[in-house]
Amino acid sequence: MLPGLLWLGFILSGVLGLGRAFLVEHENDCWEALLLAPGDKSAIYLGKLTGSLVLMLVVEALVLALFVLFFNVDLGPALPALALVIGLGTVGIAAVGTLFAAMTAQVRARELLFPVLLLPVLVPVLLGTVKATEALLLREPLAAVAHWLKLLIAADVVYLAIGFLTFDVILEG
Amino acid sequence: MSTLLLGWLAAVGLAAGLVMGFGVAPREVTQGNVQRIMYLHVPAVWVAYLAFTVGLIASITYLAQRRPGADRLAHAACEVGTVFLGVNIATGAIWGKPTWGTWWTWDARLTSVAVVFVMFLAYLLLRGAIEDHERGARYAAVLAIVAALNIPLVHFSVYWWRTLHQPPSLLKPGSSTMPAVIVTALLVNFVALALLGAYFVARRARLLAVEEEALA
Amino acid sequence: MPDNWAYVIAAYGLAVAVFGAYWLRLGRREREAAALAAGWRDRAARAARPGPPAARPETTPTGPASRAPRP
Repeated sequence: MLPGLLWLGFILSGVLGLGRAFLVEHENDCWEALLLAPGDKSAIYLGKLTGSLVLMLVVEALVLALFVLFFNVDLGPALPALALVIGLGTVGIAAVGTLFAAMTAQVRARELLFPVLLLPVLVPVLLGTVKATEALLLREPLAAVAHWLKLLIAADVVYLAIGFLTFDVILEG
Repeated sequence: MSTLLLGWLAAVGLAAGLVMGFGVAPREVTQGNVQRIMYLHVPAVWVAYLAFTVGLIASITYLAQRRPGADRLAHAACEVGTVFLGVNIATGAIWGKPTWGTWWTWDARLTSVAVVFVMFLAYLLLRGAIEDHERGARYAAVLAIVAALNIPLVHFSVYWWRTLHQPPSLLKPGSSTMPAVIVTALLVNFVALALLGAYFVARRARLLAVEEEALA
Repeated sequence: MPDNWAYVIAAYGLAVAVFGAYWLRLGRREREAAALAAGWRDRAARAARPGPPAARPETTPTGPASRAPRP
C-alpha cells in the first residue's frame, strides 16, 4: 500500500511539473526562438530534462521525508538502494515527460492531453518502481529486485534514446 | 482496384474462419462451446499488434523520409489496430463472464492489453487535437514510436507484477499444448482477420489521401 | 459446463457490429470527401470557362463546400 502511495505522490507532482515544462517559452512567445535556435536541438532536450529531473528529485526527497515522518517508516540500510530505484524511475518519467511536454505545449487541450499521453506510457516504470520499493522496504536484498532494475534501466534507455533522436522533429514547428 | 480485391479476400477468409471455428473445431472439453469465442478474440489481438508494428515502421519511415504516404499508413494502421484491440477486449469480457464469472479482472494479459489500448487511444486523441496537418504527422509519428516500443515493456512489467515474489524464469506465461485442429482454426481466423485489417487500413489510408486533397 | 451460446452470439455479434460500423463510417466519409472534391472541381471548371462576367449574378455560396478553408 505504502509504496504505491509514495509513487502516486511522485507521479502526480511529476505530471504537474512536467506538463508546464515548456509553459515559460509558450507564454512569453519564446517558442519560435526555441525553434530557430542553432545547433542540435537535442541539447535543448537534455537541458530541459536535467532541469525537470533536478526539480523532481528535490520534490521527491521532500515527499519521502514526509512519508517517513507520517507513516513511521524506517528506511535504514535500504536507503541507498531506494535512492537508486527512485533515481531510475524519475529519469524515466522525466525522459518521456519532457518529450510529451514539448509535443503538447502548442496544443489547446494541453492540460488534459499531457497526462492522458504520459500515464499509460509510464505504466512499466510505475509498476517497476512500486514493486522494487515495496521489496526494499521489506528489507529484501537488491538482488531480489534485479529484474525490476533491469526493466527500469531498459525503459530509461529506450525513452532517452527516442527523446534524443526525435526532439529535433518536435521542435521543427 | 486492389482495395476491393483485399475486401473480397477478407470476406472469403472470414467465411473460412467461421467454418473452421464452428464447423471443424471440436466442442471444447472443459469450457464447452463458449470457448469458440477464442477464434475471434485471440486473432483480434494478433492483428492489432501486427497493425501497431506496421504503424511503428511507417512512423519511422515518415520521420526519415517525410513521405505523406507513410504518415497516412501509420495513421490508418494505428487506428485499425485500436479498433481490433477494442474488439479483443470486449470479446474477452464476454468470454470471461461465463468462464471466470466476471466481466473483468486485473490479471496480466487483460491489464497489458488495456494499457496498450489506452496508449493508442491517446495517439488518436493527439491526431485529433493538432490542427496543422504536417505538425500532427510529425508528433503522431513520435508518439507511435514511443507507444509501440513500450508494448514489450508493458507486457513484462505487468506480467512480473502479477507473478508472486520470485523473479520469473520464463519469458512468457506457460503455454499449454493445444490440439492441432484448434491451432489450425486459430491460424485460419488470424489470416481472415488480418485480411480484414489490411482491407480497412488500405481504405482508411485512401480516405486520408482523398480528404487531404479535398481540403487542400 | 453449459454451452452459453448466448455469449458466443453476443461476442460475434459485437464484432460484426463494431467492424460493420467502422466499415459504414469509412463509406460515409469517402462519399463526403468525394462530394467535397467534386464541388471544388466544379468550381474550378466554372472559373476557367470564358464568359460574360457581368451577366452572371453573384450568389453567395452555401453548403459544406463553402465552409472548407480556401487555399
